[in-house]
Amino acid sequence: MTFRQFAFNNVIRNKRLYAAYFLSSLFTVMVFFTFSIFANHPALSGEAMNSTVTKGMNAAAGIIYVFSFFFVLYSMSSFLQSRKREFGLLMIQGMSMKQIRLMVFLENMLIGLLATVGGILLGLVFAKGILLLAENVLIIERTLSFYFPVKAILVTFISFIILFFFISLFVTYVLRSKKLIELIKGNKMSKGEPKANLFLTMLAVLLLGAGYAAALLAKGVMVVAAMVPVIIVVCIGTYLLFTQLSVFIIRRLKKNERVFWFKTNMLLFSDLAFRMKDNARTFFMVAMVSTVAFSAIGTLFGFQTVLTSSIKDLNATTFSYKTSEDQEEKNVAAINRILKEENIETESAHTVLQSFEVGGSSTQIASQSDFNRFASLIGEDPVTLKEGQVVVVEYAGTNLGQSKDLMNETITLTSGTVLKPKEAIHSKALPAIDSYFIMSDEDFKKLPEPTWEESYYAWQATNGEERVMAASEKLYKELPRYEITSVEYEINEIMKGYGPILFVGLFIGIVFFVSAGSFLYFRLYMDLDEDKQKFRSISKMGLTGKELKKVLNRQTMILFFAPILVALIHGAVALTALSNLFYFNLFKESVAVLSVFLAIQVVYFFIVRFFYTKQIQAAV
Amino acid sequence: MLKVKQVSKIYEGKIAYRALTDINLTIEEGEFVGIMGPSGSGKTTLLNMIATIDEPTTGEILINERNPHVLKKEELAQFRRRELGFVFQDFNLLHTLTVEENMVLPLTLDGKKVKEMKEKAYQIAEKLGIAGIMNKRTYEISGGQAQRAAVARAMIHTPKLLLADEPTGNLDSKSSKDVMEMLESINQTEKTTMMLVTHDAQAASYCNRVIFIRDGKFYSEIHRGDNRQAFFQKIIDTLSLLGGDAHDLSSVRV
Repeated sequence: MTFRQFAFNNVIRNKRLYAAYFLSSLFTVMVFFTFSIFANHPALSGEAMNSTVTKGMNAAAGIIYVFSFFFVLYSMSSFLQSRKREFGLLMIQGMSMKQIRLMVFLENMLIGLLATVGGILLGLVFAKGILLLAENVLIIERTLSFYFPVKAILVTFISFIILFFFISLFVTYVLRSKKLIELIKGNKMSKGEPKANLFLTMLAVLLLGAGYAAALLAKGVMVVAAMVPVIIVVCIGTYLLFTQLSVFIIRRLKKNERVFWFKTNMLLFSDLAFRMKDNARTFFMVAMVSTVAFSAIGTLFGFQTVLTSSIKDLNATTFSYKTSEDQEEKNVAAINRILKEENIETESAHTVLQSFEVGGSSTQIASQSDFNRFASLIGEDPVTLKEGQVVVVEYAGTNLGQSKDLMNETITLTSGTVLKPKEAIHSKALPAIDSYFIMSDEDFKKLPEPTWEESYYAWQATNGEERVMAASEKLYKELPRYEITSVEYEINEIMKGYGPILFVGLFIGIVFFVSAGSFLYFRLYMDLDEDKQKFRSISKMGLTGKELKKVLNRQTMILFFAPILVALIHGAVALTALSNLFYFNLFKESVAVLSVFLAIQVVYFFIVRFFYTKQIQAAV
Repeated sequence: MLKVKQVSKIYEGKIAYRALTDINLTIEEGEFVGIMGPSGSGKTTLLNMIATIDEPTTGEILINERNPHVLKKEELAQFRRRELGFVFQDFNLLHTLTVEENMVLPLTLDGKKVKEMKEKAYQIAEKLGIAGIMNKRTYEISGGQAQRAAVARAMIHTPKLLLADEPTGNLDSKSSKDVMEMLESINQTEKTTMMLVTHDAQAASYCNRVIFIRDGKFYSEIHRGDNRQAFFQKIIDTLSLLGGDAHDLSSVRV
């Protein structure tokens, strides 16, 4: 047996031990590969996508690559931790540290090579799936057909061979030459509890509180300015939360013998205390990585809602046409003709939008009858105003906080009468870029010369909605782009441009989230052998199956939900800050995104618990 | 107290292996019985069946006229926890717990009051001379201390039957002597019934009676008189008749 054969046999003949590390490497390669299949797709790299999108894709690939590096590094070092005793044994046999490093290097390169090839093969299998998913999210006219991704294969293979090479080099130096006795006793001795001190515990609470307060109180552009400091503060706060507060709580629990010495609590808490250092680190990492995933995906969905709802808010009707030019009649006739051609039945209305000088600036004012005509078009309640009454229609769209407060303004009529608004209502009847007034028809006639005028037509489809898209395409071809608006078409256009960003963001978010799950999985399985041994000896003494399940359930539950709960709170705060940035309520979107993640985590928890319990039960 | 009636054990597999054949054994209340035999003779199999960790293929085992093997799994675990005490060769202490916590674990699992547990733990620790290491962790104590802590854990709930599987197998001769003397004194003062599986003739000489088994069958039985030294010699003699080599008998069973 040569030295090389020894290293190779270590891996090949001890599959179970290496499986977790191998699988996580495989997963990482697969993720990167599927992403590059998508990014290098001929349908996307051609003229359909502009250079910014390509740049974005490359940046995303870069993020995934860097993340992969740290992920594999973490997996590797946690894997080596569990082999301490083996290294101790080899050193007793007279292996030098240099030889151990060489062995780890060879093993790691072998696993890396297998993982890279395996990941690419597995990626090819899933390639069609991801292309189909991309097609649906992206709204691309052409289908993303399957192709043989030569470039993606090359890129992935070369990048990951390099990655594994560097990690192998790097990791061999992580293996610090510890004392032999420590390696042999390795898993019996606790790595020690992180030092808990009251000042740092207070600091954790203080930092988190300050970070949250800043994130929640900032409005508008302030949010952007506050972002970086808040992230740093919350990051440190979270680290302290897990390293300090957890120690503090567990110590308190351990000191209270009434709790600690109660039934299975002793098993649970002593384990938590014993693994505190490892747990704290894992919890911190999982919490931060999940927060990134939650915030990224939440932000993208939120931003999408902001974009589309601003169009929907401004244009309540299916089609609208605004013009201040002389081709009005011709264009309106063209619209009506096209609608007829496409067999779309509509109700329509027409008015001239006018703005007047109010309180030093130009403000839109509509007459009651005009407003009511458009209100009935989209099924809103009409308003009835007596002479002298004025109502403010408050702007509901995305306005970045610039909306005028018209309630305190007064309107002076040519007759000299001064009108003051009494109430404010919400309506989508008329297009507006800001709040505006409605007044009775009599008063409206007494207004001075308008400062601005625009002819406005609206059509509301009552039948044949499914042909709206086709009609829109014709309309946008015949009429000036800025005069005609079809809500469906506009939203579709936005989604086309926004789709790739959304897809890439989703992809990265999911990758982060899944790897957060793997961190937890590693944490759990690193202690599997120890747990097996422990439960075997306790069950000889007499531990019922129910009690065993209870301990395992709680142990896994703490592992899976403590960091995620923190991440959910972080995410919720981040998304609230986002809604403050846009002055737009993203509550529904935030709840949706966060609860989807929570649901996935719950499912993940049940799966892992099932297998973990099964393994322990088999050993008992 | 303990009755083993016509017990056989066959391990099913590609090649069925008969580990025990028609073993009969009765242990009276307060007796201290040793089981000896060469490696692979079925000693540990017998102990595991009495410990309810394993089940006999045929025959039955009665502890206090009750057959624990008819109990359901959950009840069986509780039966072990309350009626039996175990001492293992490799101590089986949990290294995440302190010595004291290890000792009270069986009571803790049963949901006893903290005060009661503390009292019992200190009583027994005093008796076994480990009161000074109660707050130490398992890697900070010696093998002899660890085994005494394990005996304390096995004794804390005053079990009806204490089972010991090679309790001296991992100890030096001085610690072995300490542990065996301690077991003997517990047996005499508390009247706890004890059963010991061992390779070590020195350890076996502390028993009232030693039963020899060979190839899964009962071989012979000798009783201790007043003189432990003479009993030790008798054990050595029987072992050499058993086909072993008298020189390597003290070796650790693997």
